[in-house]
Amino acid sequence: MELVGEEKRIQALFSEARLADEQTAPSFAGVWNRAQAKTTRPQRAFNLSFVAATALLVCALVSLAWWVKHSQPRSEAVIATVPQINKGGSLSVPQPGVEPVSEPGFKPAPQSHRVGRSRSLKLVAQRETLLVAANQKAARDAKAIASWQSPTATLLESPSDALLKSMPQLNQSGDELKSFLPTKPK
Amino acid sequence: MDIAELKAELEVLHSASFGWAMNCCRRDRAEAEEVLQTVYLKILEGKACFRGEASLKTWLFAVIRKTAIGEHRKTILRKLRWSDSAEQERTLVSPLEQPGAAFEKSETQALFQTALKSLPRRQREALHLVFYQDLSLSEAAVVMGISIGSARQHYDRGKKRLREFLGQTEIAYGTGWRGKENPGAV
Repeated sequence: MELVGEEKRIQALFSEARLADEQTAPSFAGVWNRAQAKTTRPQRAFNLSFVAATALLVCALVSLAWWVKHSQPRSEAVIATVPQINKGGSLSVPQPGVEPVSEPGFKPAPQSHRVGRSRSLKLVAQRETLLVAANQKAARDAKAIASWQSPTATLLESPSDALLKSMPQLNQSGDELKSFLPTKPK
Repeated sequence: MDIAELKAELEVLHSASFGWAMNCCRRDRAEAEEVLQTVYLKILEGKACFRGEASLKTWLFAVIRKTAIGEHRKTILRKLRWSDSAEQERTLVSPLEQPGAAFEKSETQALFQTALKSLPRRQREALHLVFYQDLSLSEAAVVMGISIGSARQHYDRGKKRLREFLGQTEIAYGTGWRGKENPGAV
């Protein structure tokens, strides 16, 4: 590129700047070695924000697992208290102390872990207690529902309820039948 | 390219690289050194890999430019995040105490550097690459990551604005600032 006039002056100013920069430039070896030292330095495997985020995630997962584990027996108890409808259409509430009948092909798993046996037994007992309590409550509720009466039921009662609800017989006398009829004014 | 071979090449280009880094960092020597170190680190870690698609100089300058832009962005974010106390401390340091102060004290150079700083970044880059680094406009375009047409426009506009600024400040540099135009410069 051929430079003329003012461009030469601009170039001269730039050349002056370049000379000054060359004088003040840091040594290549120094900069290179510092860069090399950074590569060999063991880098921190994690930073603070990453650790905080991970800890938060772990806490969330643990609390979720805990919640799932402890909310499961309650849901089972609720399922157990739901009255089952038999084939006849009648409601049957599971009675306390009655063991659920297992299916014919069902085989219990072999208990190989003896260490956790007592703990599992405790859990089973606790669960059964909860189940029994829930069943008793369900039975009481069912009885209460069966004997429930409307508070306004007495208002619907009348003296002729017995006659209206009964069917007149063929051999009943006419007089008796007439007694039902309203008396006509003469 | 082997790392030892690359190191030898980088050593040859070191002062030019530093000058370019100084330009990219608005003549902040410490920042330029930091950028250059980061660039060498990138090369050592293989994050910046020379594939021979362009000349080593243009490739290296492009890496320096991108790194400087990234570092500048980080600095801005850091300034936004933290209070301005550090910045105030920084401004308390007299610019004359900086290593390039003696050079900047030259009145002509000081005015010239002020004029350069007043230019938009692309125009400043184009002028620096052409006048300071003796690159052609096509090479400058590769470094700046733009088309040659755009590079030419930045170069012309930058030159025009620089001329205007220097004319206003009436720098008596040599004879006849307002020399004739050079239409066939590029």
